[in-house]
Amino acid sequence: MSTTTTTPSTETPTRRSFDYKTFLANNGALVGLVVLCIALVIATPDFLTGQNLLNIGIQVSTVAVLAFGMTFVIVAGGIDLSVGAVAALSAMASGWFFVSAGLPGWMALIGGLVVGLAAGVINGAANAYGKLPSFIATLAMLSVARGLTLVISDGRPIKTAPEVSFLGGNIGPVPMPIVILVLAAVVASFILNRTVLGRSMYAVGGNAEAARLSGLPVKRIIVTVFALAGLFAALAGLLLAGRLDSAQPQAAAGYELDAIAAVVIGGASLSGGLGKISGTFIGALVLVVIRNGLNLLNVSSFWQQVVIGLVIALAVGADVLRRKTRNS
Amino acid sequence: MKSSSFRRIAAVTATAALILAGTTACGRGSGDEASGPKVVLAISTLNNPFFVELRDGAQAAADEAGVDLYIVDAQNDSATQANQLATAAAGSTKAVIVNPVDSDAASASVGELTAANIPVIAVDRTVNDAKLTSLVASDNVAGGKQAADELAAAMGEKGTVISLQGVSGTSASRDRGAGFDEGIAAYPEITVVAEQTANFDRASALDVTTNLLQANPGVTGIFAENDEMALGAIQALGARAGSEVSVVGFDGTADGLTAISDGSLYATVAQQPAELGRLAIELAVKAIAGDDVEATVPVEVVAVTKTNVGDFSK
Amino acid sequence: MTVNPLITLRNVTKTFGQVTVIQDVTVSVYPGQVQVLLGENGAGKSTLIKMVAGVYQPDGGQILVDGTVTTLPTTKAAEEHGIATIHQELNLVATMSVAENVMLGRMPTKFGMVDRKELRRQARAALALIGLEIDVDTPVGRLGIARQQLVEIAKALSINARVLILDEPTAALTRHETQALFAVMADLRRRGVGMLFISHHLDEIAEVGDTVTVIRDGHFIAEVPASTPEDELVKLMVGRSIEDQFPRRADETPAVTEVLAVSNLTSAGRFDDISFTVRAGEVLGIAGLVGAGRTELIRAIAGADKYDTGSVAVRGTKLPKGDIQAAIRAGIGHVPEDRKGQGLVLDASVNDNLGYATLASSAKLGLADFTGQRTRAEAVAAKLRIRMHTIDQPIRSLSGGNQQKAVFGRWIIAASTVLLLDEPTRGVDVGAKVEIYELMNSITAAGGAIVMVSSELPEILGMSDRILVMRDGRLAGELSAADATQDTVMTLAARDVAAQR
Repeated sequence: MSTTTTTPSTETPTRRSFDYKTFLANNGALVGLVVLCIALVIATPDFLTGQNLLNIGIQVSTVAVLAFGMTFVIVAGGIDLSVGAVAALSAMASGWFFVSAGLPGWMALIGGLVVGLAAGVINGAANAYGKLPSFIATLAMLSVARGLTLVISDGRPIKTAPEVSFLGGNIGPVPMPIVILVLAAVVASFILNRTVLGRSMYAVGGNAEAARLSGLPVKRIIVTVFALAGLFAALAGLLLAGRLDSAQPQAAAGYELDAIAAVVIGGASLSGGLGKISGTFIGALVLVVIRNGLNLLNVSSFWQQVVIGLVIALAVGADVLRRKTRNS
Repeated sequence: MKSSSFRRIAAVTATAALILAGTTACGRGSGDEASGPKVVLAISTLNNPFFVELRDGAQAAADEAGVDLYIVDAQNDSATQANQLATAAAGSTKAVIVNPVDSDAASASVGELTAANIPVIAVDRTVNDAKLTSLVASDNVAGGKQAADELAAAMGEKGTVISLQGVSGTSASRDRGAGFDEGIAAYPEITVVAEQTANFDRASALDVTTNLLQANPGVTGIFAENDEMALGAIQALGARAGSEVSVVGFDGTADGLTAISDGSLYATVAQQPAELGRLAIELAVKAIAGDDVEATVPVEVVAVTKTNVGDFSK
Repeated sequence: MTVNPLITLRNVTKTFGQVTVIQDVTVSVYPGQVQVLLGENGAGKSTLIKMVAGVYQPDGGQILVDGTVTTLPTTKAAEEHGIATIHQELNLVATMSVAENVMLGRMPTKFGMVDRKELRRQARAALALIGLEIDVDTPVGRLGIARQQLVEIAKALSINARVLILDEPTAALTRHETQALFAVMADLRRRGVGMLFISHHLDEIAEVGDTVTVIRDGHFIAEVPASTPEDELVKLMVGRSIEDQFPRRADETPAVTEVLAVSNLTSAGRFDDISFTVRAGEVLGIAGLVGAGRTELIRAIAGADKYDTGSVAVRGTKLPKGDIQAAIRAGIGHVPEDRKGQGLVLDASVNDNLGYATLASSAKLGLADFTGQRTRAEAVAAKLRIRMHTIDQPIRSLSGGNQQKAVFGRWIIAASTVLLLDEPTRGVDVGAKVEIYELMNSITAAGGAIVMVSSELPEILGMSDRILVMRDGRLAGELSAADATQDTVMTLAARDVAAQR
């Protein structure tokens, strides 16, 4: 329906001056976040304090960094269930490099990142060349990475290198996790918006065959996308370990679901081709603010799970609505 | 086409090799003497230092007694554990030590074992509605009470307290929480201002405690239903831990004991997991020999503070 | 007319948001008549159909069934009035049998179980209505498109449909299959079923229709008899006259430079020992029946699929097998058969879709050249007259013809000199078709070479300088533009098939 015979839209502000459906569908996450914050400000005086906002910033860092990596994968039409496990493995490997292998701290830190990158490359290769659906390939990686984490650690936490702990500390008055979060967001957003790789991700996720026939190296793009997800997962894992001064064998368990939820709440489509880093960041904030608020209000943990589930359902509902308005 | 099918064959071969390597490496504990009686230790998870220590205690005792110990890990999944117990019932197993993921869910599988006249010893958690040969467990309710007493002592019997709960719905969380609530009720000047779950997880405890401190800046005591969460809370408190705010944990893990030594953790309730494992093996050996064994063997829970931490640290 | 119409849309209007897609249109379907709905893509035909089928409700005007004002709030309500739609995308469950599909939703049961015997009997009776003889136990997915369509028609008739809406039923059919469908339609007409028929093939209108309603940009333009000459219909539909449907302008003095050389190309089970060359400035048409291996051949040349033996060379340089990027670098541009499935990223913008082939080559240090890409895309969109609101709108919202122009535009930006076109005008309306033909002319005039696969014989005959005919994966013959007629092409394309029958 591209042809129109009516007057230009600017001249008919009368009846449908505000299309709330379209607005909600396109900005659902942001509206939700604002509503949530207003409700919490009213409900508890502890929410809107400088320290609490700083806390939220720190708490969102891990899940947001994980979710940035997930955004690449989902935009490119895949899914990565292994990010939580890869985060734990990278942190544990880094701890092992430092404590057991006796490497200098900075090498242990880089080593952890390399482990995450490698896990991502394997995910990507299994998907692009091994023809495994990404769901299956990364489900396998989830199990393998979680298992290797336990093998390395023998089920016990390992102390991290001071360089890793620095990631969880402060630089002057500013918490490092927030600094890293901002850097990661800038880098991720740059990759997605400005680089050939980023633009190609949208094409591959939107229609891989059309992208291939247009000469885009689809398989290489997929491997790079998963490698990036692995790298961001490793960064998130090191961040988490840094905050605890130790790598935990069960760290980040279930975080992949938080990351997927953040991406979807942020407006990406699970069928690929759509998604933004800013949206994902808002999605991650929604999850963390809910948890923070429910803690402040001392709400029973049973209800917390119910609330988070409902938020995800609402977000996916918005996705469906978005499709409907687009296709009609 | 040819190269792609080659790749697929290569992938399948690699996978098969991995699985084979995995099975041969994992199936058994250590020790090559296949001569001893076969005992299966079905453990709920090895994802937690407590159970790792329990396993180590059992393994040490088994090596000493010449028992051929098979360790299976259910990864906190009741269904996985049911399968593992069924496998144990089918083999040449002489006795089974079970650390159930869920006390109710394990009863059917244990019933099959007892029906096959295989002695079953439950460790740490009981199995409901089952004819257990014996139960080796520490008293979580009593432990919770002791934790309350230690915390009250540290706080001078007055002030406000945060309680960090474990995974909702688990028996350990229920029992420790109930014991603590009962114990703390004896101190009228202490109030519990917040009870929130942190899923027995250090990272969650860090975030949850940070949030709770925001709402309740004046707390002087924190009780955590395990040491991992206590350590997360200490991380959240920073320098205030041990000075302004007293933290009491549960389990007595290595990291927890270290924290007691450096003063950030006031006390923990040591469960002696290695002792649980050791006793379970001893009972299994007795049962195989046909000797009578006690129906319940309580393992002492001990409050560990700076004064006696030396006795526990290895 | 003395006969009363079965259904009438009277002065209906439909708006979506602020866009009016149908304004004050009246159209009726009479018993025993075929009413043709004619209009370019985007003229509003599908919106009209959906109002008849109960999918959309008109914002203004009325729907009359048997002369009574009615509302059709749901598709179910439309069905209860005896209105059935045969969509382009068929509504059949591929894995279920013909009988189950015909009786879907009203399976006969006995003691709570499906009564298979009764199911088959009723299904056979339904198929007999249109003289379709197939095994009712065959899974529908194994039938060809044409037969699936007939199964759907049988299904509609078996629930007593009096009005059949046929939305481009012939788009995916061969000439032969189309004839079979028309025979069924003629039979239905005798039995008093009213039909609303949509087609882009103008020659079919006179053959099967009674009256033609022409709409343009959502407005009613005219109602004329189906016998109206084709160019008159085109004029009504497009709003201007199109003098020449196939405006091929070949070079008077053809160049001798050989641009594309395909030698002994073989891919087991797809095509066998294919050799040909294309000169600069030439359009080479490849004709043949569906399944003759034409698409497979084009894809192999473009690097989309691998092949077993033989070679492809552009200007003397051999191309590696199955390497799309190398083919593009050599100047090849591939316009695939399935525009939506293989040509476009539908949710991406027109700008993005135009730029995919040059995304990497125009980049510096891995950074996309946004300004340059946009400038080039805007220039090409203007040159090809791609009709859109803005270059940033999703390409999904463009009409088929404009979408197809964007696929061409991608290769024009990439400065491709060898274009491989697979059904370049499928689902494209007359106006845009001519624009695409003009585009082909300008490419060859600039020294480019074109290979065009098409199932539309008039297009092959009208636009090719030379025609290759494929049959069962082999070259069956070559014809010059002067010698080729529908008969000579079809004889080569179908000789074996005809002999076997």
